[in-house]
Amino acid sequence: MADYIIKTTNLTKKYSKNPVVNSINMHVEKGKIYGLLGKNGAGKTTTMRMLLNLTYPTSGEIFLFGKDTKNYSKEIYSKTGSIIEIPGFYENLTAYENLKIISKLRGNYNPHDITLVLEMVNLENDKSKKFKDFSLGMKQRLGIAAAVMHSPQLLILDEPINGLDPFGIKEIRTLLKRLSHEYGITILISSHILSEIENIADTIGFMDNGILIEEMSKEELYNRLDKYVEFEVSDTNLAIKLLEETGLNENRDFSANDGNIFLYSHLELRDKFNELFVKFGIKVKKVNLCEENLEDFFTRWISYN
Amino acid sequence: MLTFIEMEFLKLKRSKIFLLSLIGAILPPLLMFIAVLSFDEAQSFDKLFANVNMYMSAVFGVLLFAIIISYLFGREYNEHTLKTMLTIPISRSKFLINKYIMFLIWILILTVVTSISTVIFGVIAGLDGFSINLFISRFGELLYSNILLFLTFSPFVFVSLFITNMVPAMIGGATLTLVNLMVYGQNWASFVPWISPYLIASGEIAKYSTSPMTSYCVILVTFVTGFIISHIYFTKTDLKI
Repeated sequence: MADYIIKTTNLTKKYSKNPVVNSINMHVEKGKIYGLLGKNGAGKTTTMRMLLNLTYPTSGEIFLFGKDTKNYSKEIYSKTGSIIEIPGFYENLTAYENLKIISKLRGNYNPHDITLVLEMVNLENDKSKKFKDFSLGMKQRLGIAAAVMHSPQLLILDEPINGLDPFGIKEIRTLLKRLSHEYGITILISSHILSEIENIADTIGFMDNGILIEEMSKEELYNRLDKYVEFEVSDTNLAIKLLEETGLNENRDFSANDGNIFLYSHLELRDKFNELFVKFGIKVKKVNLCEENLEDFFTRWISYN
Repeated sequence: MLTFIEMEFLKLKRSKIFLLSLIGAILPPLLMFIAVLSFDEAQSFDKLFANVNMYMSAVFGVLLFAIIISYLFGREYNEHTLKTMLTIPISRSKFLINKYIMFLIWILILTVVTSISTVIFGVIAGLDGFSINLFISRFGELLYSNILLFLTFSPFVFVSLFITNMVPAMIGGATLTLVNLMVYGQNWASFVPWISPYLIASGEIAKYSTSPMTSYCVILVTFVTGFIISHIYFTKTDLKI
């Protein structure tokens, strides 16, 4: 049986009888990066806030590190780092002073640790700069520094790459992968950016309208992505006719547009179809085995469910 | 608790509100000093102290304390730091109680600043009658009054948690200041929580028909009610940010 760092049972949050999180059963394995994927308003932030005890569930249970969060909150949250939406820091204080407050209150203040963590997020030259003068990207990086400063075993990060430039996103992605793979830190990360989750997560949870539709590993996800073959042909009408003569049905097994034939079934016969086209004088300029991208899959998946 | 208070002071570093509160604490002695020079008011140190204590605890203090309490709680919401604090983790009850303690310490600092600046302005004005005993007595009076006034501010804690910007606190503080001015000298002043501390500490309560115990009870009921509702609200409801 898998060792779950986060496990929820029928976790529900309702506002005025409207469920914003509806009976979700989440399973985050130890040492893995779990990407919570969903549109804005899907219920990702509310779920994370409930995991962190900032919002109280209407019903259901939350177990972090195998323990009930209601009874073991101090023990659990001292091993957890988090960012929920925009990181909150005192505007009149510097990056260093803000981290000092957090580490002092955690009871593990060490100036060297603060310097190290600021270096890790490339803010070592801005440690004396006031938080109010930080850019959004710098604020996010300081939030990550605060979240990892006490060497947590679990990170709960709500849209941590918001506001980061592509270079910053790459840095944070590399950092999170390193924290997970080298230090065994379990990470729950939410995003509405599909490519980001695809890049970083080992397991993906799809959320929509407060429902956790499905959890699947990245391998399983790739297996589920639809594949198709694209032929670029000189005579589309003739190609359609030939395919129909072999018993394939337009719109069901293939579609055509603008000099292209998209074959959705019998992909293993693509070389035979190619030979057939050539035999009847159709010039085949390109044959591509394509895979549905995550965005198309997500859209299809959400519509289907 | 000591670490929490130490960190509360660090949070005030470069903060204008702390400096403004100190200026607010100096304002009653300054105004009385101007009155002495301009209108031949308060010809002795004792009179100066008495006037400053009255204006501080019954007028300026009410508005000033309302702003301070609103800032102490409201900034944690407005700067989105509460979610950081509570996930450190700090229990919500401890957080609330420590904030009350910080508020009390802030009041004590302002009390010291008011009393010392009164001495300085009195010396500059060349007033007679200063003695250490007088200073201790009048400082004790202001301190006692401000501590009782602190207790009456627990309903403001709830207001600051419920509406996290400073406007309601400023309106509330200004309203209570006016109420204090209106009821001062009226028979039922001893039933008003925000002027009772001054009446008790200054001894003026003896002029009223009700016993001091009634005013103490009013203050206690105000404190307990405010504390309970702020505690329930803060610990049982979702964080709004």
